[in-house]
Amino acid sequence: MNRKKNPLLAGLLSLFVPGLGQAYLGDRRLGTTFLTAVVVIGGLLVWKNARLLLFVLLAFWLLGAWDAYRRAQGGKTRLAIPFLLAAFLVYAVAWQTTEIAPMKLVKGVGDIKPLVTDILWPIPAAFTRSEVVETARDVMQVPCSDTPPSAEPQPEGKPQIHVSSNCAAIGERITLTGTGFRPNWPGEVWWENPIGQQFFVRQGGQYLRFRTDAQGSFQIETQIPLAVPEDMRNRPQIHHIEVRVHWPEGPWRASQTLELTIAKILETIFLALMATTFGIIVAFPISFLAARNLMSFSPVSLSIYYTTRAILNITRSIEPLIWAIIFVVWVGLGPFAGTMALAVHTIAALGKVFSESIEGIDTGPIEAITATGANRLQTIIYAVVPQIIPPYIAWSVYRWDINVRMSTIIGMVGGGGIGFLLIQWIRLLRYEDAGVAVWAIAIVVSILDYSSSKIRERLV
Amino acid sequence: MLKIEHLIKVYEDGTRALDDVSFTVQDGEFLVIIGLSGSGKSTLLRCINRLVEPTSGRILWDGTDITAASLDELRRIRRQIGMIFQQFNLVKRSSVLTNVLSGRLGYVSSWRSLIGQFSREDMQRARRNLERVGIADKANNRADALSGGQQQRVGIARALMQEPRLMLADEPVASLDPSTSHSVLQYLEALNKQDGVTIMCSLHFLSLARAYGTRIIALKDGKLVFEGLPAEIDEDRFKQIYGEDAVRVEIL
Repeated sequence: MNRKKNPLLAGLLSLFVPGLGQAYLGDRRLGTTFLTAVVVIGGLLVWKNARLLLFVLLAFWLLGAWDAYRRAQGGKTRLAIPFLLAAFLVYAVAWQTTEIAPMKLVKGVGDIKPLVTDILWPIPAAFTRSEVVETARDVMQVPCSDTPPSAEPQPEGKPQIHVSSNCAAIGERITLTGTGFRPNWPGEVWWENPIGQQFFVRQGGQYLRFRTDAQGSFQIETQIPLAVPEDMRNRPQIHHIEVRVHWPEGPWRASQTLELTIAKILETIFLALMATTFGIIVAFPISFLAARNLMSFSPVSLSIYYTTRAILNITRSIEPLIWAIIFVVWVGLGPFAGTMALAVHTIAALGKVFSESIEGIDTGPIEAITATGANRLQTIIYAVVPQIIPPYIAWSVYRWDINVRMSTIIGMVGGGGIGFLLIQWIRLLRYEDAGVAVWAIAIVVSILDYSSSKIRERLV
Repeated sequence: MLKIEHLIKVYEDGTRALDDVSFTVQDGEFLVIIGLSGSGKSTLLRCINRLVEPTSGRILWDGTDITAASLDELRRIRRQIGMIFQQFNLVKRSSVLTNVLSGRLGYVSSWRSLIGQFSREDMQRARRNLERVGIADKANNRADALSGGQQQRVGIARALMQEPRLMLADEPVASLDPSTSHSVLQYLEALNKQDGVTIMCSLHFLSLARAYGTRIIALKDGKLVFEGLPAEIDEDRFKQIYGEDAVRVEIL
């Protein structure tokens, strides 16, 4: 039948609009394919502005015209290779756009090592002991005045320090000697300026530390730091120099990190519990409206079924993270926003699986109870509900498990729970603390996962 | 008296399940309906209590047109018509007692059944009916813990709760072994003879139909092809109902 068509016209049509010639010859699918290819290549050309693409576009355009011309004559052109090349081109652009660089995976291995080790072994951040601190201090006038201060009296029988001079200019070196400290232990040198601000003295970029000898004595040289605003540097003022030796002692106990983590993981569990509970309460009645086998008895009920299904599907397609952002704006930061976000998603998700369990029930009892003269409500209560209780419980437990996992993410946008801590610690590069949170999540999720699968096993 | 007049049922997919079926059932009869699978037996029984809506025709029960009944009237009519099924149609996870009590729902108000509150009389009635079918000791078992024959007896007890005047039995013994089949049919027979309940029962086996039926009707492709006494079914009739290739299988 192609013979009746004019080859020249077909070719011209395809030259005018790609694919039109093929459509004119009756092969609409091939026409659409040509048009799509040209549009895609054209789109890439506009976006990437690469000259190579212009040639490919022109080549395809002409190929389409040639193909239409040949086709009208009853012949055929080989199209597989050009189309494969076009597909290859799309992949090339995609590769470039997503910045795929496999070598980075190799090069970056060193960078993730501290992160991975901190996260895998966060025990140092989880537990702590109380610190015993030995200090000794002395005055320091900077710069020297006509009447330099005398050394502060050092308490008897306690650690003592002695400075080579109680006054010095900024940048001048002084010698610090100490006695009576804990033997063979590291110590730190601190500076306190006239208004009481303390800081760890640095020398050449390093914190100034020392180590006591077997008798608990040490000697160290230090430079006078600039510890006042620039315009006050020439006015003699009284500073203090302080030496600290400290070590942990006593029993191990939970660190603040661990305490916070436990508090927040409990919040997460309760958040998930509330979200799941609200979800079940709302999803339960809705599921009856979304069950086709219960709702197909009249056009009105059928339209309720379709509406309910549509609302459930739309709600479910919106990620909990988006819901969390909406509710954070709506009710403010905190666990309530997270609860609402997860509750909404749970309603949609449970509404679907609940109604599907209704659709999957044995219809025999419904028939039998209807035949006894029971009304619709009675039939549902006696023939449907006993059949759906086990799957409902199983799905609800499973959902709680999912909600705990999701609430860790919800926290990242301010919806409460442990996610907030996790994202905060990661941003502060406190990977050990983040590791504590990650472990807490992993432990809770795996316990819930295990118990929910056990419960489901028993019920389904 | 149940009078079926020109009953037609055409399903949505175009299947003509019942094609102008007319017959009469007298009170106190044990009517057996025979026919091949797909001949329309189940549809016929379900049209009587309108589990299946007939396309056209009338079903008159003591002068009342069931097909024209409103929803409320229909529920009152259904109350008096018990039904048992091939697959028993029990709620498997519920107890035997709950299953039996659910037969009484047509007499109980919605709110009372909502809280699962049955009256003392209904409880006694349920126990009596369980005793009658010989499984009073199973009252608290889960329905699916019972054997097939016991489950069908629960089905009968459930139907008895309605205190029916008519009992529809849709292939009640097709899922049971021969000896259990007889025991179930004997319960129906006792119901028929002692309580005067009219029985309409569809059966596969002609031998069972002959043993229990006081009258037999036969369906073939939705049409009524025989109506008469069990003894009237000879070889020719048999071939007419079951087809030329059919071989008689006796169930003893």
